[in-house]
Amino acid sequence: MEGAALSHSLLQRPLYASTTVVLASPKSARIKLPLSPQNPIILCHHHSHPLLSSSHRPVAAPSLPVRCSSTVMSATPEAGVSAETSEWAMQDFYTLRRDVETTSQRVEEIRASAGLKQLKEDLANLEKASADSSFWDDRAKAQQTLMALTDVKDKIQLLSEFKSQVEDAETIVMLTEEMDSTDKGLLEEASSIIRELNKALDQFELTQLLSGPYDKEGAVISITAGAGGTDAQDWADMLLRMYVRWGEKQRYKTKVVEKSIGEEAGIKSATIELEGRYAYGYLSGEKGTHRIVRVSPFNAKGLRQVHEQFKLIQDRYVLVNLGSSSDPFNKLKGAMEPSRSNRLHHRSGSVLTSFSGVEVMPLLPEESMDVEIPEEDLDISFTRAGGKGGQNVNKVETAVRITHIPTGVAVRCTEERSQLANKIKALSRLKAKLLVITMEQRASEIKQIRGDAVKADWGQQIRNYVFHPYKLVKDVRSGYETSDIASVMDGELDPFIKAYLRHKYSISMSSSGAV
Amino acid sequence: MKLSLTRTSLSSILAPLLCNSHPSHRPISSLSVSHRPTSLTPETTPLFLRPPTSSASLSDLLKFRNWAETLSSSAGASFSAQDNGPDTHLLLRELTWLLEDALENPKTLAYCNPSAVSNDLLVSLRTDLEELYTLWKQRIDERRPFQYIVGCEHWRDLVLGVREGVLIPRPETEQVVELVSDAIKGNDELGDGLWADLGTGSGAIAIGIARILRDRGMVIATDLSPVAVEVASFNVQRYNLQDKVVIRQGSWFGPLKEAEGDLVGIVSNPPYIPTEHINGLQAEVKHEPRLALDGGTDGIGDLLYLCNGAVSMLKPGGFFAFETNGEKQCKFLLDYMETKVKGSFNDINIVSDFAGIQRFVTGFRTR
Repeated sequence: MEGAALSHSLLQRPLYASTTVVLASPKSARIKLPLSPQNPIILCHHHSHPLLSSSHRPVAAPSLPVRCSSTVMSATPEAGVSAETSEWAMQDFYTLRRDVETTSQRVEEIRASAGLKQLKEDLANLEKASADSSFWDDRAKAQQTLMALTDVKDKIQLLSEFKSQVEDAETIVMLTEEMDSTDKGLLEEASSIIRELNKALDQFELTQLLSGPYDKEGAVISITAGAGGTDAQDWADMLLRMYVRWGEKQRYKTKVVEKSIGEEAGIKSATIELEGRYAYGYLSGEKGTHRIVRVSPFNAKGLRQVHEQFKLIQDRYVLVNLGSSSDPFNKLKGAMEPSRSNRLHHRSGSVLTSFSGVEVMPLLPEESMDVEIPEEDLDISFTRAGGKGGQNVNKVETAVRITHIPTGVAVRCTEERSQLANKIKALSRLKAKLLVITMEQRASEIKQIRGDAVKADWGQQIRNYVFHPYKLVKDVRSGYETSDIASVMDGELDPFIKAYLRHKYSISMSSSGAV
Repeated sequence: MKLSLTRTSLSSILAPLLCNSHPSHRPISSLSVSHRPTSLTPETTPLFLRPPTSSASLSDLLKFRNWAETLSSSAGASFSAQDNGPDTHLLLRELTWLLEDALENPKTLAYCNPSAVSNDLLVSLRTDLEELYTLWKQRIDERRPFQYIVGCEHWRDLVLGVREGVLIPRPETEQVVELVSDAIKGNDELGDGLWADLGTGSGAIAIGIARILRDRGMVIATDLSPVAVEVASFNVQRYNLQDKVVIRQGSWFGPLKEAEGDLVGIVSNPPYIPTEHINGLQAEVKHEPRLALDGGTDGIGDLLYLCNGAVSMLKPGGFFAFETNGEKQCKFLLDYMETKVKGSFNDINIVSDFAGIQRFVTGFRTR
């Protein structure tokens, strides 16, 4: 229940873009809010979340009101300074007061949903346990208890810091209301507290949302075009681009490791590896079927109807040689442009639906996968070069496919240049996949996976991308939607990812009944 | 009759074999090329090992790629229809790998819009752009094997240098190393002795076995072709195995007379294609040395020779694994061993390759 309330408030919560806007514009620097160094909020308490850091970009949610737009407008250098300042301060005060109220509410909700009461009980129990005379008899258990104790302590401390921070800001608001004149310095401090506090709250929330055993790991995304030929293959290609762009925005090491080109256009399948913290946690919810509704850009023969555009798309797959030192990456990034979606609308014709499947697996280091799969459970097949084989044939056909017989789970690896290398990589992917399924089914080991459930789970449709007759991207699970389809296809997936994570969190809270 | 071979006895066997490193003991003849450092010209150094001395603008590189893709697409289905050659899909994969080897930093396959990328963005290359055009033209027009184009073949966990004049190791042959590994698992003493890879070519099997043996036994590899000896030596050195693998030039058992009856294992991928089939081979294969492919009338001549040689060369309990052209040769060889050289071998087996084709014959020298 509390969880549902939390997620509701999160969606409503305004973005604190105001300060970001101000800071991003050096011309209005006289109202720049300094990061107060004495601010005791611990921001780096947990691991850094790339998503979070990007959430404060002004572009994050254009539909939400940007708080201090008037501030920026009026804070032009030409305006009279003193009069302007007081006017700004009054307006800002009202905004601030509202922000403080909202944040205060948010803090209360988070403290409630984090189960503060339960945490304190846990703390008492753990402390009692660690004080026991026989505590060190079982060293391993003692270590675990101490680690849990530290975790609980940290969490409680963080939660009480949230409260004291927001109270500080409330005090300033109260003081200002009682005083005749506004103290600009104080207001700036309160504003800064609120801004930093909201960042910390975001981070706290995400830590709560991303607590799965593999969430911290990198990710492997496999995209497969659905039935429907060229249109579906083109759609798979668009998804590939979308995820690559998202990965780059997160500053993950993003690599297209395998790509199977479609006959006419697009791709049959592709595999992306993203290295970086929490990549799997963010992306795991992308697994499922993605559906596109649009007017086909292809004619009956599967050829793109405008030749120049085809060229453009071909050209966009650029093999870039990135020197690590000079980092021409930014240069390139600036050159990237959202291009594909724009051209799809001015065409008359029938509306067409295509599908592509997305699979996500954690990128687990070999040594972390402590599982042995019995050889007899594996069906390993290699692509045949055909003919007599051996010395008679010379082909670079090295693909390996491994099926886990008991569950029917299969992986294919084609990107390596030797068969053995593909086999090793495929096996490692299979293990990761089985571990994830084990976790999803809440089984204790791979042996307990129910194969029938695995197959049924795959086809689930998770998101619709409608290009025609209107523009809308909608996640069928979280209900989150946007009409800015161009940005989504350009990798602006954060709102969807966050909405899904919160959705998942609220479901797990309500189903477990925990508070 | 226990197979025993101490480290000391191994070195005493190897002493005469290793004498190449001491030219005073034995004059270097054309038939005893040692494993001295092989200096390869830039032409013969695998592309991925060459220094990045060239560069090209990104847009020019993209132009090359577009051109090469178009060329590959047009070749498309015709190669596979002609002689079971590579289709467009495989050619495009090769192209990706060519660029991977040619670029200094091939790490990112990124998406961007080249019309907005500044044309002066330079990409470091290990060969100049013109050469890339020439190479890909050779690939398509002449069907020059991809592995010769880039000068290497990825095989098991190895990247082996190859060039014209030496057989490109096949994926099927990777299994020979597994067979040896299994044999050693079955009888640990095999791990301490001297192994022979006959007709080693690029040195693939020899290097694969040497890495399984780790700090234990040794491998001696022979090949009649001086080019093969040179390439194999290069590969052995690249994996820093010059103390584990001895490369000798000569025909089959010729260079290892001293080791008669002392080998714990013999492996070989000899030429086994019947002469009459040579003309109908995939165009790429015809670029490879006939010496490594043509096995005479039935293609079985060399296999029989190896089989007979193994009788005297293997230690009792020693292991052998031979690659063959398929079911017919496997069965012939099995029958030969069970009847003609009856009693010499035991546990003779036919092993299928990954495509299900009966490919290898393995067994042990009777104790």
